[in-house]
This record gives sequence, C-alpha cells and structure tokens, in this order.
Amino acid sequence: MNQHRKDLVQKFAALGSLLVLMIVFSFSSDAFFSVGNGMTVALQVTSIAYLGIGATCVIITGGIDLSVGSILALSGVVAVLAVKAAVPVPLAMSCGLMTGAACGLVNGICIARLRLPPFIATLGMMLVARGLALQITDAKAIGGLGDSFAELGNGALWRVVKVGADGFPDVVFRGVPYPVLVMIVLAIAVSIMLNRTTLGRHIYAVGSNAEAARLSGVNVARVTMFVYVLSGALAGLTGCVLMSRLVTAQPSEGVMYELDAIAAAVIGGTSLAGGTGSISGTGIGAFVIGILRNGLNMAGVSSFIQQIIIGLVILLTVWVDRLRNRR
Amino acid sequence: MSADPFMRPVADGLAGARAGSPAAEGELLSLRDVTMVFPGVVALDGVGFSLRRGEVHAVCGENGAGKSTLMKVLSGQYQPVSGTVTYKGRQRRFASSLEAQREGIAMIHQELNLVPHLSVAENIYLAREPRRWGFVDGARLARDSQRCLDRLGLALRPDAIVGQLSVAQQQMVEIAKALSLDAEVLIMDEPTSSLTGTETARLFDVIRDLRNAGVGIIYISHRLDELAQIVDRVTVLRDGRYICTERFADTSIDEIVSRMVGRPLQDKFPPRSSVPCGEIVLSVDGLARGTRLGPLSFELRRGEILGFAGLMGAGRTEVARAVFGADPVDAGTVRLGGDVIAIRSPVDAIAQGIAYLSEDRKGLGLAVNMSVAQNITLASMGAVSNRLGFIRPAAEQAAAQRFIAELDIRTPSARQLARLLSGGNQQKVVIAKWLFREPRVIFFDEPTRGIDVGAKFAIYQLMDALAARGIGVVMISSELPEIMGMTDRIAVFHKGRINAVLETRATSQEEVMHFASGSRQALAAHP
Repeated sequence: MNQHRKDLVQKFAALGSLLVLMIVFSFSSDAFFSVGNGMTVALQVTSIAYLGIGATCVIITGGIDLSVGSILALSGVVAVLAVKAAVPVPLAMSCGLMTGAACGLVNGICIARLRLPPFIATLGMMLVARGLALQITDAKAIGGLGDSFAELGNGALWRVVKVGADGFPDVVFRGVPYPVLVMIVLAIAVSIMLNRTTLGRHIYAVGSNAEAARLSGVNVARVTMFVYVLSGALAGLTGCVLMSRLVTAQPSEGVMYELDAIAAAVIGGTSLAGGTGSISGTGIGAFVIGILRNGLNMAGVSSFIQQIIIGLVILLTVWVDRLRNRR
Repeated sequence: MSADPFMRPVADGLAGARAGSPAAEGELLSLRDVTMVFPGVVALDGVGFSLRRGEVHAVCGENGAGKSTLMKVLSGQYQPVSGTVTYKGRQRRFASSLEAQREGIAMIHQELNLVPHLSVAENIYLAREPRRWGFVDGARLARDSQRCLDRLGLALRPDAIVGQLSVAQQQMVEIAKALSLDAEVLIMDEPTSSLTGTETARLFDVIRDLRNAGVGIIYISHRLDELAQIVDRVTVLRDGRYICTERFADTSIDEIVSRMVGRPLQDKFPPRSSVPCGEIVLSVDGLARGTRLGPLSFELRRGEILGFAGLMGAGRTEVARAVFGADPVDAGTVRLGGDVIAIRSPVDAIAQGIAYLSEDRKGLGLAVNMSVAQNITLASMGAVSNRLGFIRPAAEQAAAQRFIAELDIRTPSARQLARLLSGGNQQKVVIAKWLFREPRVIFFDEPTRGIDVGAKFAIYQLMDALAARGIGVVMISSELPEIMGMTDRIAVFHKGRINAVLETRATSQEEVMHFASGSRQALAAHP
C-alpha cells in the first residue's frame, strides 16, 4: 500500500476513535453534546495542546522534554511577579514567555553542545525550574491580580451578551475563548513550519538520521536547540494562560503535564524513535485525552478510574500503531 | 543447465521425502525453487541448493548475488515467499533463527552478533546459560566455554570482556559460540575477513575436524584463493539466480569467477570517456590528525578519477571525512581551485562545492524514513525554497523527477520512503542528492558496496559522466578490480599515510597490494 494512503488511514483511525468517544459520551450524558460543553472541552485541552505541539517537534528530532510542566509553573510565576511589580500585563506575560524560552535554551545547550542525553538534561531542568518556582514564591499562591491579567485566560471573542428584559445580562453565546484561538493559530503555524519550511524538513531529517543530516549540511545543533527553545517558549505561554485563567500564581501547577503532552503526541502517531509525527495527529491525541476526561467526569467516573482508562488508551493506540508498521 | 549434476540429488531427495524414506546421498539440508522478494527487488529467484553431511560447500557470487539472503533463508531468519526447505529428510519451515538453531543449524555472521559488555563465556552461552537452582552456574559456564576455546586453540580467558577484544578475537568467539551449539549445519559468512594467516590456518583445521565429524559446512568468502584449501563443492549464484553447483576438483577459480560475473570480465567497467586536464581542482597539503592520520598531501585534477586504495583502517575514509569537515583535523590546508578554504563542518564543505558519499549508506547517507524526493533535496534546500524558508513543492517535485529520470532510479514515486528501495537505487538517491548541489569535487566512499551487478555498472557510468563534466572524483574502494577499472591515478594508503601515487595505466593489482602492505620500493617488473 502506498505510504501516503497509509498515513491517511492512520489519521482516520485516530479520528474515528475520537468520534466513537464523542458518540458514546453523548449517550451517557445529555449535556455532553452541546456547544457550551464543546468550548469547555476545547478550553481544557488547550494546555495539553500547547505543550503537545512543542513535544511533537522535540520528539520528531528523536528527543524528549520532561521539563515543560515545571517550566510552565516558573514562567507563570515570573509573569505574575512582574505584574505585582507594576509591569504592564502584556510585558509581564512576555517576561513569562521569555523565561520559558530561556529554560528551553538551557535544555538545548545541554543537549546539543554538552551532549547530555535529552532525558537527563530535561529531567534536571524539571527539578531546577520547579525548585525555582517554589523558591521565589515561598511555595505560596499569589492572588489579587486584577481583571486585565485575567483577560487572556478567561476572555472570549465573539461573545454575544443581550441585556434581558429584567435588566440582567444574558449570555447568548459564550464566544470562542482566547486560549482556544491561540491554540488554533499555533497549531496551524507550527504545522506549516513543519511541513512547508526548510526548518521543518531539517527537524524531520535530524530525527530520521542525525548523522546523515549532518553530512548533508544540516546544522544539527541549531535545529536541536530550536525545538527545545520552542518547547520551552510554548511551556512559558501555557504557564501564562493557565495562571491567567486561575487569576493566581500557583508554583505547584503543571505537575505531570509533560506526560500528558507526550501522551497526546504518541496517541497522534508520533514515534518516540524520531522522524515521524504531525501536529494534526497530536491535536487529535490531545482531544482524545480531553474528551475522555470530560466525558468520564460527566458520567461520574472517579479520577482514579480515569487515570486507569487513559493509561490503557495510550497502550492500546501505540500497540495498534506498532501493528500497522509491522511488515 | 540441463546437464547439471546438482539438480538430480534434489529431485531424488524430494521423491525420497515423499515416499517417506531418508534422503539420498547423506543429504542434510536442501532448498528447492526458493524465491525471496523484498520491496523493489527479487533477492532470490527460484534458487536450489543442497548440502551433504561431512562436506564443505562454498557459495560464491558477487555482492548482491543473493548469498546472504540464501543463508538467512537456510538459517530461518527469512521465510521464503515460495519454495521448500528440507532438513534431515523432512520439509521444514523455520519460524525464526532460534528455532533453526535449536534444530542444529548455526550461523556465524559477517557482522558480529556479540554483546560487547558481557564476557566471552557469557556470550558463548547467551540465552542458554547452564543453570543450577534457577541461578547461572558460573563454574560450569567457565568450564564449558573454556572447552570450546581450547577446541579452537584460542588463548582467550572465558572471563575476558568481549568489547575489549580485537575484531579477529571476536570473530573467533563467534565461531566458538557456533561450535558450542553442537551444530549439524554450520554456516560461515566471511569468517576469515578479519583473521590473520595463522588464525585462518587454525580455523581451517577446525573446519576439517568438523567435516570429518559429519558436520555440513556452508562457507562464504570473497577470498576465492582460500577455497582450494577446504572446499568440496561450490555453488554459484548470480543476480539472485542459481547458476551451477560443481565439485571443486572439477573446476577452477577462473571458471567460478566467469560464472559469477556472467560475462567477459572486460565488460565490467564502462570505457572512460574523459581525459583529465592539468588544472588542479583540489589540493590537500599536510593533512594530519594525531598520530593515526597523515601528514599527507594529494592533488586532484579536473575530470580525474583518483582512487584511494589500501587495507581496512589505512585512513582512506578518514581523509575524505576530514576534507569534508565531518571530523576535526590538527593540521593541513585544503585548496579548492587554487584558493585556500577553511572547512570546519560539512556545512562549509558543501557550500564550497565538496560532496561526500558515505560508505555506510543506511547509517550515514540516507534518511531512511524520508521520501525519495526529500532525500534528494536535503542538501539543497535553498534551491527548492523561497527566501523565507518556505519550500516550493512544485520545485521540489520537479527536481526529484529530474533525477529519478536522469539516474534511472527505480521507484514507484518520488514519495516512496527511501528505506523501501533496493541498495542500488538507494545509492542513486544519495548520488542524486549530491549532483543536485552541482559539486566541484565528489568523494565516493565504497560506492558499490552491497549493490547488485547491474546497478554497479550504472554507478561506474555515472562516475565517468561526472568526471567528463569536469568534476574531480575521488573513489575509495576495497575492491581492487574496480579501482583498476575506473581510476586515472591511485593513491595507495598505508597506516594513515599515502605510501605511493601510481598511474593506473602503468601499474598492476600486485603493485598496488605491494604498496598497500607498506613496502616502499616499487616492484622490479610488471607482469
């Protein structure tokens, strides 16, 4: 069978399981299949999706990034501290983003220049960034941040509000939350980067055969640094959006998020061996996880059982992927 | 082929098996009409083969003739598409090499299958460790493996770590491992390729002992001159087809070679169409790294094919990689077209117009999980993308199609994954990658290793065409005939230095070997 067609089948297989989930859950709960709940799911998925997009790029090069959960906490905390220090909100958020990118750069230097294994380098960063986040906040949540800080995480575009006959506002359409918009823009942008630019091609080449790429004139070190900086920056963005949604700085936020991100990428067909993967697949993977959580919640399944089910889903999808690739 | 003495025993054997009687003439293992297909290649096409008890049976053929595939079918690693395997009178279908091994068919691989971090004893009995109450019986392990080593006359300690042994010693451990299996069929794929003369002699003694004990031995070697010492029968394969089986005493090496090649030897290489002009395109001066490499200097002219000959590890690949910027150097200047250039990485070398085709195609040359088109454009992304770094799919597709047509790359489409192509076509993809850059100098490192005869000829033609276009070509090869057939001059390497530079037309294989083994004086007379 033609490789291209195989990829399509794989995509539809993942997409199909997504549809099956939606149908099952819409039977188990009336409230599941509604525009409102759709937006809720999309909003819940955003964190996994941002991190998953970064994780996909990293994993395509054959690496792994375990530090994003900690980086998002550190970045969010930095943004909040900046706001507390009277820095304007957009600038404060940029500080958060830069913090994430800087952490990613350190990861990249450790991996590409000092030649540490990605697993070790990012494991170290995971501890360092988490420790920093806890240290600079004394491990306490910081609140009282004002409306403008909350806007990114809680605002929405095309929100339709009517003032009812009784004078109270009545929300007709909740609008598209900003985090969801950002997710869509990011997914499209990174997808184009991977498929349509030389940089993207080099990312795949490094993951497919790093030495062959080097001998073909690809600057492997620079490509490697780039994916970790991207992953770090996206973790920084995730931190800012999450803290904005909560309107508090939570230095202990984002624990284990890196694993959700990796799971989303893997469910979407990205191979940990490097060289293959796509943003659309990761998007589907993120939604599979998000919908499972949401649907199981609505069906009243405990969070422990949810973990078990998600774990099994990861095993199942990767096993199916293996079967497909076996010849 | 009608008068083939070999087809009869097979037919008899099969008839015998059908009748339920033991196979004829002590036949131990036979194949009939075996076909093996890989994507894009028919590796074996209706091949037959038979091995008797107590014989040494050589399998000869050029690279890509199907020897290794045949061995892998015999040892259970591959399951043939069609055809039958008969072992000890019964038709068999081994599911894995482990199953075949349990039945007494052992294989010694060309590429060593040892675990470098374990000891000699642990390697010999890997996955068959003698056990006592569920634990490894260390004493017995040491005793039994010592016995295997003694049988080979090896002065090796069973507790030596395999990774610290020389390649020759590792080869002997591999052989000891096969002996420990009490195999009835022993398949040896190039067992002497890294052995010294004494080690080879000892191995031959062991082989004769085994033969006298009734073991059937299948022996593959490129060193045809060795065969006379041990071989009883020989089977020749060519392009995946069975050619003939003969008693070694009834034939000669010349005859075997002509059967292997299948056509007169002078047709093996295309006529050279270019004449190198005097202009020097690449000159390397005083290149050195540590004590292992150099200092050495050489010059390459426009339109010239310069051969790098020498033994394994003589520094030929190292020089190419150093000039290409793949490995650092301590000293040396590189001039391209007269200008001194600084090369710190392959990026610099490629920008200057130097290309390097690695000897390890799958490991270093090809991104196997990327498409043919993506591999072809990998080193020339600038040519198929705009200034912002966006790839122009039409340009990429056009470039891929152009080279697929120009180099006659056999692929269903430009989108096909590179790993699904045959070796020869993969090599053409790598060559296309470099041609697309329009280099001034190309290093071909073992360009025909592991590819079939037809594709070899195509690659020779291509090298000649490149030289005719005025490109400087360096050809590194361990196959002397191809160096003799294709080059204008030959730089002979010995221990990291260039020992002699010879005009190809005025030299002989003997003289090249003479200098490759370190001699400093020219041969007295050419034959």
